[in-house]
Amino acid sequence: MTRRPTPLLLAAAVLLSAIYLFPLYWMYVTSLKSGSEVFAYPPTFLPESLDFHIFAEVWQTRDMASFLWNSLVIASGSMAMVAVLGTGCSYVLARYRNIWVDIALFLVLMLQVLPASLMITPIFVGFSALGLLEYPRFAVMIAFTAKAMPFFVILVRATFMSIPGELEEAALVDGNSRIGAFGLIVLPLARNGILVSAILIFMQAFGEFVYSKSMIQDVTLQPASVGLNGFMGPNTVEWNKIMAYATIYVTPILAAFVLLQQRIVSGLTSGALK
Amino acid sequence: MTQQPQIELVSVNKHYGGFHALKDISVTIAKGSFVALVGPSGCGKSTLLRSLAGLESITTGEIRITGETVNETPPRHRDVAMVFQSYALYPHMTVRENMSYSLRLKRVPKTKIDAAVAEAAKILGLEDYLDRKPNALSGGQRQRVAMGRAIIRNPKVFLFDEPLSNLDASLRVHMRKEIRALHERVGATSVYVTHDQIEAMTMADHVVVLKGGSVEQQGTPLSLYDMPATKFVAGFIGSPAMNFVSGEITGDGGSVLLDLPGRPILPLARQATPGRKVEAGLRPEHLSLAPPGVPAIETRASSVESTGSVTYLYCGGDPEIIVLSQEREPLSSGEPVRLTIAPENIHLFDPQTGLSIGQAAG
Ligand SMILES: Nc1ncnc2c1ncn2[C@@H]1O[C@H](COP(=O)(O)OP(=O)(O)OP(=O)(O)O)[C@@H](O)[C@H]1O
Ligand SMILES: [Mg+2]
Repeated sequence: MTRRPTPLLLAAAVLLSAIYLFPLYWMYVTSLKSGSEVFAYPPTFLPESLDFHIFAEVWQTRDMASFLWNSLVIASGSMAMVAVLGTGCSYVLARYRNIWVDIALFLVLMLQVLPASLMITPIFVGFSALGLLEYPRFAVMIAFTAKAMPFFVILVRATFMSIPGELEEAALVDGNSRIGAFGLIVLPLARNGILVSAILIFMQAFGEFVYSKSMIQDVTLQPASVGLNGFMGPNTVEWNKIMAYATIYVTPILAAFVLLQQRIVSGLTSGALK
Repeated sequence: MTQQPQIELVSVNKHYGGFHALKDISVTIAKGSFVALVGPSGCGKSTLLRSLAGLESITTGEIRITGETVNETPPRHRDVAMVFQSYALYPHMTVRENMSYSLRLKRVPKTKIDAAVAEAAKILGLEDYLDRKPNALSGGQRQRVAMGRAIIRNPKVFLFDEPLSNLDASLRVHMRKEIRALHERVGATSVYVTHDQIEAMTMADHVVVLKGGSVEQQGTPLSLYDMPATKFVAGFIGSPAMNFVSGEITGDGGSVLLDLPGRPILPLARQATPGRKVEAGLRPEHLSLAPPGVPAIETRASSVESTGSVTYLYCGGDPEIIVLSQEREPLSSGEPVRLTIAPENIHLFDPQTGLSIGQAAG
């Protein structure tokens, strides 16, 4: 058996990625088309003329600066909360093995199964009772943190488990306290796994829609995902502008992912101790 | 003059839930001595060592280091250094940082740290590797770094948990000598865990044999060899292992009748209770080919192996008796042999309790 992909497999891979990435391509192409070209039949696969003014126009008219700023605030806040709470939680779940830990892990996994659209009603009622909806962006951060936590915990717990307990014991004998050993030995070794998982959480939070849409009524506090949704009324014809909006929204995230992908993939697959 | 012991373990017990891992262990370790804890896998050696380090808490009993009870003292305040079986080097630090870690935690001035690292590196031959990370070192070099991390601290006690078990045979023999030399040079007290009785015998001043969580016997290496208190110790210490043959004391109490074909009778050096059932222990190196006329075990050589310096004879079948001879025996397998042993070298054990029946040399 050779490890080289056969031409057939290669063709299948190319075809599948093409299908998968087509919507993205269509978004970029459509954003550059003129209003009439969007509805042309047969559709054009390359825009007739390149008009980049549309981006500046959409940015201005849709007040995107405010929307993107809110997305950034919600994503950063969620990431910070997930990282801080989730790291401690994953460490405990990685280091201790007993029936309670098993139960906790089961619950964590179960949370992952529940869809946001189902959870939003009880969360909304509860938050409203607590008065949290006065601070809607913060409320979204909390709700999203709870939603994203299992994913983070599962990834980071695996990272902690790959760090041998003897390293910590060596540090204890060498003069560290429990907390010192965690901070000086375990955290640096788990850093890559934690960073990568946090970045993935950030990217998820940047696109979060269900909670923001339900909990944030004030337009000036809404993130870009809700803004995009508001752009798409039932009689929308400005598809090129919507696509320009979407392009401005996702391109930074895509660029960051492409730039970091090497580290992300290696951070997730290699153990801490290579 | 009685010197205060460096470490005292008084009736130490350790339970893991329902499992009794250490049973009433009492050991006293003199300052500057090298103590080996040996025993088969799972007997509690690591547990005992980790209790000394403070990584496990004991259930009852007392641990004292230089007279001070340390039962509740966390590891960092016990002034002990430990070398782990896996070495446990910090992978994100260079050799230099690994070795100086404890001193940096203590905020020792940098010039002092540099001097200490340089000295330790010189002793251990690590000068060329100080700026490498552990993953760029060989097993033997990692082992040295782990040793360096311990000696740089100049602690009251060194604890070693099977530090050589990941090395190949020749390096192991070499490091055995080096660790012993290092111990003498540094002059600290060392507690060394191993499952290899040869390591224990060659390195230690005092050997503690553990079995199933309790101390089976302790003493100097030679006293364990010469006067094993139990059949377990007799079989554990010495290589190849002691031969055991069941038998019975003769009517006059002066000889032992062995349960072997031909019912051989061997004279004993001391009187024993006539008619008593016993297990006779015969060390391979004490058995030899008998000249005609002396009482002997009549058997057959089933195989003969010569390493050049010594010859192993495997005799009989049930039980097989191994003989270690310094001579090149002109024998081939299948030939009849007659084996004898000096009366003072016969060990007798109670078949039920396994305890020695005060017979052998001493
Ligand atoms: N955390 C634990 N929980 C329960 N039982 C344990 C625990 N650690 C060790 N034991 C048990 O205690 C006994 C002694 O273990 P220990 O590690 O001290 O053995 P050892 O003599 O060092 O063996 P080895 O030579 O294989 O390292 C074993 O039977 C082991 O199963
Ligand atoms: Mg062990």
